[in-house]
Amino acid sequence: MQSQRSLAQETAEDIFFGQLVIIYARWFVIVAMVVLALWSSSTISQLVSAVLIIVPLMAINFFVHGRYLMEKPVNRLLLTLLSSIDLLAITLLIIFWPTDRGLLNQFYIFYYPIVLAFAFVSTPRSSLLYTLASLVLYTAACFVIEPAMLMDSLWLERLTIRLITLAAMGVLGAYYWRSQRARMRQAIGPEPEFEPA
Amino acid sequence: MSQSYVEKPDPALQEVEKSANGRAHRQAAVEASSWSKMVKADSVTGDQDLAYGQPAIVAVRWLMIISGLILAIWNVENLQDLRLSLIVIFLLAITNFYLQAQLLIKKPVIKPVVYGASAVDLLLITFLVATQGGYTSSIYVFYLPAIAAFSVAFPRWLTGIYVLFLMMVYWIIASVSVDSEQMIIIIRLLMIAAVAFCGSLYLTIERARRQEAGAYAEELRLAMGE
Repeated sequence: MQSQRSLAQETAEDIFFGQLVIIYARWFVIVAMVVLALWSSSTISQLVSAVLIIVPLMAINFFVHGRYLMEKPVNRLLLTLLSSIDLLAITLLIIFWPTDRGLLNQFYIFYYPIVLAFAFVSTPRSSLLYTLASLVLYTAACFVIEPAMLMDSLWLERLTIRLITLAAMGVLGAYYWRSQRARMRQAIGPEPEFEPA
Repeated sequence: MSQSYVEKPDPALQEVEKSANGRAHRQAAVEASSWSKMVKADSVTGDQDLAYGQPAIVAVRWLMIISGLILAIWNVENLQDLRLSLIVIFLLAITNFYLQAQLLIKKPVIKPVVYGASAVDLLLITFLVATQGGYTSSIYVFYLPAIAAFSVAFPRWLTGIYVLFLMMVYWIIASVSVDSEQMIIIIRLLMIAAVAFCGSLYLTIERARRQEAGAYAEELRLAMGE
């Protein structure tokens, strides 16, 4: 019972303190999306459409960041849900961007800090599932847009590079999570034994 | 988003909020905010961070070597490019084998060698990017796992210097390339900065947690011993 509770507490503490990394990763992606929207929009309607997507993301992240600053951070379920929304938003950007779509789209790079940040904070199982989901979503997005392009050796090479490096982010994050968990246990040391009076 | 997720936190979270760690963590973050305090904090625990991070750095380098080898022979366009890629890959492999051997025989970390090896990684990737199209080269994504690996192991000021230098060099190489788009270059640079920042932030948070948890556990042991 004692060891089960301490595992749950360790996981809760990882989420409690570590979610700041996810928050900042999302801020970087939001800033990049703002740059994208302001730079590439050539009509009012394009810019308005982009703003309608970016503002809710900003509002959600501001809410999560605010709660962290008030020392009432969100729980694991909500954090996972929001991180899943990040993955979906990036995938939709890759599929629906008006000029370059699928493999030609350069915004796959948004996945990298999001996957890394999630892997730093979550258990290895969750982070590896999350990484796998990002790989599957990105590959599916590329297939959906231009299936024939994946028969091209050059484009297949580019897809392979992107998938390998993205997977590496998830594995690295999981490795550092385990390493930091072990170091934390070392720092705390063995639990003192109760000696009844 | 259900209100219940926010209004009813886990019982374990409530325990965390009540603990000294939460308050002490924010205090430590505020105290470590100045530059000199940051450098001092990094130097105190830097050796340990590097020792724990070195296996990840070596593993990422093996990943780059194996991927690089496969990709070099996948779409060979001319002999000169293949020769250049293979020379770079073999040099990396020799360096990495030396570092791997140091880990296997549990020799102490030689900081300048590790820092130098990571700098060489970034330079070699930059060289390959520059010789294979600059902006159009897909090799730049290899920066990201390399940066992620050392950002959690190196002192923050060193990570900052490496990444700033890299961003400047990449911006120059990509900007002078044919068919480059500044918007895409800026987005790539932002994501490089994001990965470095998240790694360093994680290092900071975990270091503060360890220090406070260790101090709290020591107080508890002393109290139990009285």
